[in-house]
Amino acid sequence: MKLNLLRLAILGSILLFWEAVAASGLLFRDVVPSLLKIASALGHLGVNADFYHNLSATAGEVGISLAIGGSIGVVAGLLLGGSRLLGKSFEPYIHYLGPTPKIIFFPVMIMWFGIGPGSKIAMGAISCFFPVALITAAGMRQIDQVLIRVGRSFRASTWQMVTKIYFPAMRHPMLNGLRLGFGVSVIGVLLAETKLSNRGLGFLVMQSYSQFDMPGMYALLLVVFALAILVNAIISRLGGLAVSEI
Amino acid sequence: MNANVEVLRVENIVKRFVTARETVTAVHHVSFTVAQGEVLAIIGPSGCGKSTLFNVIGGLVKGDEGSVAVEGRTMSGPDPAIGMVFQEESTFPWRTVADNVAFPLELAGLAKKERIERVHHYLQLVGLKGFERHHPAQLSGGMRQRVAIARTLAFAPKVLLMDEPFAALDEQTRLLLGDKVLQIQQELAQTTLLITHSIAEAVQLSDRVLVMTYRPGRVKSIVDIKLPRPRTAEIIGSKEFGQYVAEIWNDLRDEASLGMKDAEAHLPKAD
Repeated sequence: MKLNLLRLAILGSILLFWEAVAASGLLFRDVVPSLLKIASALGHLGVNADFYHNLSATAGEVGISLAIGGSIGVVAGLLLGGSRLLGKSFEPYIHYLGPTPKIIFFPVMIMWFGIGPGSKIAMGAISCFFPVALITAAGMRQIDQVLIRVGRSFRASTWQMVTKIYFPAMRHPMLNGLRLGFGVSVIGVLLAETKLSNRGLGFLVMQSYSQFDMPGMYALLLVVFALAILVNAIISRLGGLAVSEI
Repeated sequence: MNANVEVLRVENIVKRFVTARETVTAVHHVSFTVAQGEVLAIIGPSGCGKSTLFNVIGGLVKGDEGSVAVEGRTMSGPDPAIGMVFQEESTFPWRTVADNVAFPLELAGLAKKERIERVHHYLQLVGLKGFERHHPAQLSGGMRQRVAIARTLAFAPKVLLMDEPFAALDEQTRLLLGDKVLQIQQELAQTTLLITHSIAEAVQLSDRVLVMTYRPGRVKSIVDIKLPRPRTAEIIGSKEFGQYVAEIWNDLRDEASLGMKDAEAHLPKAD
């Protein structure tokens, strides 16, 4: 209760500080627009059909990239974690490629998939592949070996081993991988949209910026924040359901 | 027990481990049989290859020589005829108690109705009725091991194969659970092979005790335990019980001290 009050107070003072800077006129016009202006820009976004069109474009790209990059990442992680040889031979590459900024692949992706949604989806998928693959491989190695022996002693098929032992035993690392993968695929897609595109939230942000519509830009950023928090909360909730047995 | 009907036949098992430096023979020409309804305990010092033997008989590890047969059928790999109980914590933490016991039945594709009936029956047998919906983390270590035993029994194996099933438990729980297992074994007339390092446990539960030598693990002696059946926990206080413990310790002492010397020889020494 006290903690919540403290948190509210922190948020309140940040907003107050922002408003004070905006009102002081110390900074160039609209670099720090008044909260009221941002709120009204948000209101405009809310009734703008074009905004929803771009929002759904970005959401679709993120969703598809998460599905593609995530599932390839899970399969790759299972192979890397399941086979000592594969793990030892491939993992250094994935490990060192993982932290490189994926945006350097963007020109290649444009050549392969065009400037439409294809290249954005590819960027998101590449971004999310690495953390998902690495976390899945690590999770697989942490499975209690005796559980695998139990499965084998009951003659579980490979499919039964994967669905009834590996996946449930790895549920926590895999949900974490999904969360990280979602975060980086949003980054990949938005970044690609700000570079070269004609739709999506990243495109709208850059459009507002080039027209120096700062309240509109901040409003868009708030929308992106809010969506990211919402999805994260949903994934955590799924994870929460999975951990309730402990 | 019907000593005339042989259920498990283990013949000439040899298992070697090859490392870069040396070849270690863990199990060396071990043979024995277990009759219908009989409990055979295998006892030996640490490092005598008990757990290796467990894995080879269960089919999880391939032996270099020899064969394992149940009711005349030679095993090749894990088989429903042999049910294994492990010494480690082996329940699935994400499944409820009932779903843990149902696991092998699910794999085999049993109808839901029959699964529920069997799970109910075996949970009652191990004394865990009323805990169906609990998760393993909510139970004590002894209860979790009973879940693991029920899970293996639910598959109705011809031979119950247990590797130090009470090793992870404290002394009092071990005694109580040992008694519980004894009652279950007698009720089902379950043919059982128990691997243990506790002499008291071996005498309490079994009809014969097989003593293994220290590395390489061979059969040193087989002691008949002629304590009356059905047995209860009171048997531990009897004079005969003490005599059997002493007799087995006599056979085991030299092997155990060999193992201890070997372990000490491998410790780094200060100059």
